[in-house]
Amino acid sequence: MTTLRIGRLDVQLSGARAVLAGRLDDMVQLGELATRLPPGDVAIDTAGVTFVNSIGMREWVRLLRALRERGAVTLEAVSDVLMVQMNLLAEFHGGAVRIASFHAVYLCPGCGREATPLVDAVVHAAVLHQMRAPPMPCPECGKAMELADFPERYLGVFAPRA
Amino acid sequence: MEPTSTPGPPGKLVVAHPDRRAQRTLQRLVGATLCPVEIVADQAALIAAVDRETIAIVDAGLAHATPGLREWPARAWIAVPGEGLAPADAAIVDALLAAGWGHVVAHPMPILAEELLATVQKLRRREVFGLEKYIAWGAETRSYTLGDARERDDAVTTLARDVIGVGLPDRVGSLVSVIADELLANALYLAPLDEHKQRYRASEARERRRPLHGRDVVTVRWATDARYLAVEVRDRWGTLEPARVAGRLISGKTASSSEGGLGLALAYACCNQFVIDLEPDVMTEVIALLDVRYKPTELCRSASFHTFVVDTPGET
Repeated sequence: MTTLRIGRLDVQLSGARAVLAGRLDDMVQLGELATRLPPGDVAIDTAGVTFVNSIGMREWVRLLRALRERGAVTLEAVSDVLMVQMNLLAEFHGGAVRIASFHAVYLCPGCGREATPLVDAVVHAAVLHQMRAPPMPCPECGKAMELADFPERYLGVFAPRA
Repeated sequence: MEPTSTPGPPGKLVVAHPDRRAQRTLQRLVGATLCPVEIVADQAALIAAVDRETIAIVDAGLAHATPGLREWPARAWIAVPGEGLAPADAAIVDALLAAGWGHVVAHPMPILAEELLATVQKLRRREVFGLEKYIAWGAETRSYTLGDARERDDAVTTLARDVIGVGLPDRVGSLVSVIADELLANALYLAPLDEHKQRYRASEARERRRPLHGRDVVTVRWATDARYLAVEVRDRWGTLEPARVAGRLISGKTASSSEGGLGLALAYACCNQFVIDLEPDVMTEVIALLDVRYKPTELCRSASFHTFVVDTPGET
């Protein structure tokens, strides 16, 4: 396993898999990451990404474009903040990228607890395609939590292209 | 017995809405300004009632169905939610922004009341600056002045920490981080113009140290009253072009790439009300308000938008 620090982003590389943690911001240049990943299909885990601004998003888009020219890209455990921003861009809508799992803000109607559980997008593919969020158990009271925001903010990337 | 209140600025308010109940509600809301209010139900009556000193408050559906309405001479045009004053249709809000509307109220009561009254009074009194107009009296305001361009990260981190520290959820702290970061970047790197009107700092390396003096001073303030969290960023250049901003706020939703110009769109997407206050060549102030009372799904998916320009006759 190789460890890199790009700006304020920590990267762990293991074969065709990268795990990102930290900030996608003005200081990050992801061109280096594209060259470090092998040709062909790759997987990127972004659960540890805590902040994304517009310049970081531009770098992220460029990275995904470069990787998609070489093979399939699977995103795993996409962080809540990155998921929301990817949904803002039409480029990612309609299944343009393969998302295996993602974090989203859920709210418990019973106890009011907010949490960001990991949603398995493969297991729940059918409901996600319908722009519906699967219920998730509340970590505090066990009741079914609901997505705390508009489905369009998280699930536009799963909807079939019009 | 004669009332003792001082007479307000000249002009009148015209409310145009097809729904009688909405008419009554809006009349009460803007009637609080003690300005004369005229009620109409359709486009023809609206156009007949409006003159250059009128602030027109128009059902968003009517506004959307009448292209060019906002070109009609008036003090200002304000679009408000349609049937039953429920949250506005996000697609209509986006369409009005794309069409260049300078005031679009997206949310239902009670936000509608708070937002509409502040908007009308800012327009009537021509007093545009300051987040205090949106926050209940008694709430403390915290202010940070950046001494160097590299202090942006520290300001954002401190702001997010302080916001969470008063008991607001992590989700709000995350949103406010993005908003403050983008607004500060705009003030530091896009606001300054050189003698050729070029935004000469746009490509400046963000890690570069640059002490901020004179017109380069940037301030950020925030306050919360448990209804709203308000974040305000000011620069001393006054170079933002409001007429071009509205359309760009929704650009991210339709663009096929993120090759630039997404900063303000991102800040807009993270808040519930986005306000630009401008005195050309003097000051730009952007205020982003997050409602912290309601679930996001109880409001409009798109944020309200307002732009106020000091001393510009016929301001939109």
